[in-house]
Amino acid sequence: MLKNARHALSLLTVSLLAAPAVQAQAVPNGYPASYASVIDGAKKEGKLIIYSSTDQASAQPLIDDFRKAYPFANIEYNDIGTSQLYSRFLAEAAAGTPTADVLWSSAMDLQVKLAADGYALSYASPESKNFAAENSYQNMAFGTTLEPAALIYNKRLVKPGDLPATHAAFAALLSGGKLTGKIATWDPEKSGVGFTLTEYDNQTNRDFGAVSLGLGKAQAGLYSSTGAMLEKVTSGEALYGYNIIGSYALLRQKTVPDLGMKFWKDGTIAFQRVAVINKASKAPNTAKLFLDYLLSRRGQLVMANQSLIYSLRGDVAGKATRATLTQAVGGAGNLKVIAVDKRLLDNLVPANRNTFLNLWRKNVKGQ
Amino acid sequence: MTVPPLAGQRSPARQGARASRPPLPVGWWLLLAAVAVAVLSPLLLLLWQSFLSNPFFAPVKQVGVSAYSQVLTDPAFWRAFGNSAVLAAAMIFIAVPLGSVLAFLVTKTDLPFAKVFEVLLLTPIFVSPIVLGVGFIVSLGPSGFVSGLFTSLFHLTSTPWSVYTLPAIALIAGLTHVPYVFLYVSTTMKNLDASLEEAARLSGAGVWKVMTSVTLPLVRPALVYSAMLMLLLGFEIFGLPLVLGDSRGVDVITTYLYRLTAVTGVPAYGPMAVVAMILILLALLIVFMQRALTRQRGSYASLGAKGYRAQRLKLGAWKWPLAALTILYLLYAVVTPMAGVLLRSLVRSWGPGVNLLDALTGANYAAIFSTPDLSRSVVNTLIVALVGGGVAVAVYLLVALGIQRAPRGVSRTLDYLAGLPRAVPGLIMGLALFWLFIFVPVLKPVRPTLISIALAYMVVWLPYGVRLITAALGQVSRDLEEAARIGGATATGAFLKATLPVLKPGLIAAWLLIFMQFVREYSSAVYLLSPGTEVLGAQIVQLWGTGAVDSIAALSSLQIVIIVGVYSLATRFGVRPE
Repeated sequence: MLKNARHALSLLTVSLLAAPAVQAQAVPNGYPASYASVIDGAKKEGKLIIYSSTDQASAQPLIDDFRKAYPFANIEYNDIGTSQLYSRFLAEAAAGTPTADVLWSSAMDLQVKLAADGYALSYASPESKNFAAENSYQNMAFGTTLEPAALIYNKRLVKPGDLPATHAAFAALLSGGKLTGKIATWDPEKSGVGFTLTEYDNQTNRDFGAVSLGLGKAQAGLYSSTGAMLEKVTSGEALYGYNIIGSYALLRQKTVPDLGMKFWKDGTIAFQRVAVINKASKAPNTAKLFLDYLLSRRGQLVMANQSLIYSLRGDVAGKATRATLTQAVGGAGNLKVIAVDKRLLDNLVPANRNTFLNLWRKNVKGQ
Repeated sequence: MTVPPLAGQRSPARQGARASRPPLPVGWWLLLAAVAVAVLSPLLLLLWQSFLSNPFFAPVKQVGVSAYSQVLTDPAFWRAFGNSAVLAAAMIFIAVPLGSVLAFLVTKTDLPFAKVFEVLLLTPIFVSPIVLGVGFIVSLGPSGFVSGLFTSLFHLTSTPWSVYTLPAIALIAGLTHVPYVFLYVSTTMKNLDASLEEAARLSGAGVWKVMTSVTLPLVRPALVYSAMLMLLLGFEIFGLPLVLGDSRGVDVITTYLYRLTAVTGVPAYGPMAVVAMILILLALLIVFMQRALTRQRGSYASLGAKGYRAQRLKLGAWKWPLAALTILYLLYAVVTPMAGVLLRSLVRSWGPGVNLLDALTGANYAAIFSTPDLSRSVVNTLIVALVGGGVAVAVYLLVALGIQRAPRGVSRTLDYLAGLPRAVPGLIMGLALFWLFIFVPVLKPVRPTLISIALAYMVVWLPYGVRLITAALGQVSRDLEEAARIGGATATGAFLKATLPVLKPGLIAAWLLIFMQFVREYSSAVYLLSPGTEVLGAQIVQLWGTGAVDSIAALSSLQIVIIVGVYSLATRFGVRPE
C-alpha cells in the first residue's frame, strides 16, 4: 500500500518534472532566459490572426515551420491586398471587433503610418541586434524581407545581347523605337506599392528622368499588379517588365523557365515587407513569437529557400538571400534599400505625391 | 413623403367584396421596412461618408463638401465618366437589339439548333467579367492564340485589332451582355400567349412583320427593362475595363476609384462615397425613366388559363444564314474567351514561340486542391449560390409582389428601393456592407460566416432578381386568382393555390439565374472574405491583385464547369420552363 502510494507519488513527481520538459519550447539560442515567459504566455492565448499581403502559397511553408517550433500556436492567416489590409484593420479596430494581431504588408508607408498613429505594439525583439537601423521604426514596424525591383524579360524573344545592365542603357534601348508597346511597368497613379517603388527610383537613380521619358516614348503599358505584368512578359505581349518585384518573378520562374530576371549594375532598389504587432492584440505573446520567427535565422532560411522571398538577414544561405542578391547587383553599394522610417510618411502627403505624379505624367504620359 | 391612407386605395367597385384587397397592409409595411433597412442603411452610410473629410469611424473628421469638389473638379473623373457613358451606350445599342432578335429567333422560329443556341447563348452570364477579359486576352490579345493563327495565315507582323482600346472594350462589353437581354426577353416571349402571333401569321404576315409588329410590342416592358438594366450595368461595369483597360489608361467610373486612393496613398473613402452618390443619382434617374416608359403595368398580361402555343414561324431561305450569323456571334463572344480561359488554365506559359503541348500541365488545378482557401472557395460558393440563392428568390418574390400589389405609396417606394443597389459598384457596396457588419452589434456575429456573403449578394442582386420575377409575374393573369377568391379562398391561399403553380417555372428559372449570378459575383464579397468564408469570385479578384493568373484561370474554369454542370443537370430534369 505504502509502496504503491510512493510509487504513485514518484510517478507524479516524474510527470510533473517531465511535463514541462516535454511540452515547453526551448528558448531559442541567443534569446534571454526571460523569453520563456513569452512562450508560456503564448500557450495561454487563443488564435493568432495574421493579415498579410503575402500569398498564402508563399506563406504556408513559414506557417508550417513556425508551428513546428511552437505546436501550440493556432494561426488564422488572411491573405489580403495592401490597401484593403490597412483599411480593414482600421475599421475593425474602430469597431472593436476581432482583428489582426500581426499585420505583414508590402505597403511600407502604410505600415509605418500605423505605427506612427499609435496602433503598433512597441517590442524590443531579441532579433533586433541582427538587423540594421534601416530595418525598423521605433521598435514598432519591422522590415522582414528584401524585395528588389528587377528587370524581367521574355527569354524566348529577347536575346542576351539585348539586355541592358544600366539604367542609361535601358533608356537608350527604350528610345530606340523598337520596343513600342512592348514594355510593362507600374502605374504609380493606381498602385501604392508601385508609387513607393517608382518614387524611390526617382530619388536614388540619376537616370530616372531618361528612363521615364523612354517609357513614355515606348508607350509602356502601365499596370497596378505584379501578376498582370508577369503575365504580359510570360506571354510575350511585353518583352520587358520594369521594376518588377523580384521575389514574385523568382517564384514564377519555377513554372515558367522562359522568364528572365536581371538586376541593375548601377543601383538596384529594394523595399521591405514590414511587420507590425497590433497594440490591442489579444494574443500579444504569440504575435511576438511569430514576429521573432520571421526575423529569426530559421524563418529567414525558409523564406529564402521555400517561399522564395529574399531574406533580409545577411547570415542566411540559400537561393533568395541578401548574399545572392548582393552578388547579382554587383556589390552591396549597388543595393539601395528603402528604410523603414518616418520619411515614408512624406509619401502620404498628397502634395508630395502630386509633385512626383506630375513629373510622371509629364514624362511617361505626355500630359 | 406623405403616405396616402390605405383604405383610400380601394376602388369603390371592389369595396363591397369580402376581403377585397390581398394580404394585410401591415405585411406590406413590414416588407417595405425590411427592404428599406437592407438597401438604405449602406447607402445612407455612404451618403454620410461622402460629406466627411476622414473615415466616418475616425476620431477626427470634418463635415463638408471637399470630397465632392475633389471628384467633380478632377479631369480624370470626367474622362472616366465619359468612358462609362460610351460603354453603357454600346451595351444598349448592341445588346438590346441583338439580344431581342436572338430571343425571337430561338423561341419563336424554326431556327436550326435553337436548343443548342439557347444553352450556349447563356454561357457568358456564367462567367465573371474579369474572366472574360482574361479569356479575350489569351485568345485575341497581341499574343493570343487566335491572333497568332490570324497573323501567320495572312503573314502579318501584328494583329490589325486591339482589345485594349475604348472602342474594343465597348464592343466586347456590348456583345458579352447580349445574353442578359436574351434571357430576359426570351423568358418573357416564352410566356406570351401565342395566339396573336398565330393570328398575324395566318393573315399572311411574314416572320419580320410578326416580330416587329406583334411580338416585340408585346414584350416592350421587357425590352425597356433590359435597356435600363444595360444602362445601369454600363455605369457599374468593373471587371472588363479592369482587365482590358488598365494598361492603356482606359478608366471607367469604377476603376477610377483606384486612382482616388493612389492620389492620397490612403483609402480615400470620402471621394469613393461621392462616386457612389453620383451613381445612385443616375440610378434614380434611370428607374424613374423606366417607370415612365412602362407606366401601363399589367396591360400585357396574356398568359393565364388560356395558354395557347402557335407553331414556330418559318424562316424559309433565311434559316441557314441566320444560323450562321448566330454561330459567328457565339464564336466571338462565347467560344473564344471561354476557350482562352480553359486553355490558360491548362498551360504553364503561352504566347508566340511556346509549344502549347509542351506547356500543358494539370498543376494549376492541383494547386487549387492543395491550397485550403482555394478549395474551400469552391464549396462555399456552391452553398451560397444554392441556399442563399433559394432564400433570395423567396425574398425577391415578396418584393415583386409588393411592387405589383401593395397600396400605391408602398408599391412605388418599393420599386425605387429595389432598383437602387445595382447602381452602386459592387466593390463600394461590399465596403459599406462590411462597415455595417462590423459596426452594427446585431450583425457582428454574422460577419465571419457565409451568411454575411449571402446577405450581401442578396442586396446587390435585388434589382436583377426583382425584375426577373416581376417579368414572370407580369405574365400571369390574375384571373385564376380572382376565381379562387370568388370561390372563397383567402388572399394568401388564392395566391398559393392559383398563381404560384403557374409561376413555378418562372421562379425556378429565376433561381437558376440567381444561382449563376451568385456563383459568378465577385466584387461585393471582397471585403467580407475571411478564412473559412472564401468564395470563388472574390478569391479571383483577390488573386488578380497579386496576379496569380494560373490560379485565376483554373478557378474560373471550375466556375464555368460548376454552372454549366448544374445548369445542364437542371435542364435534364426538365426544370427549365418550356
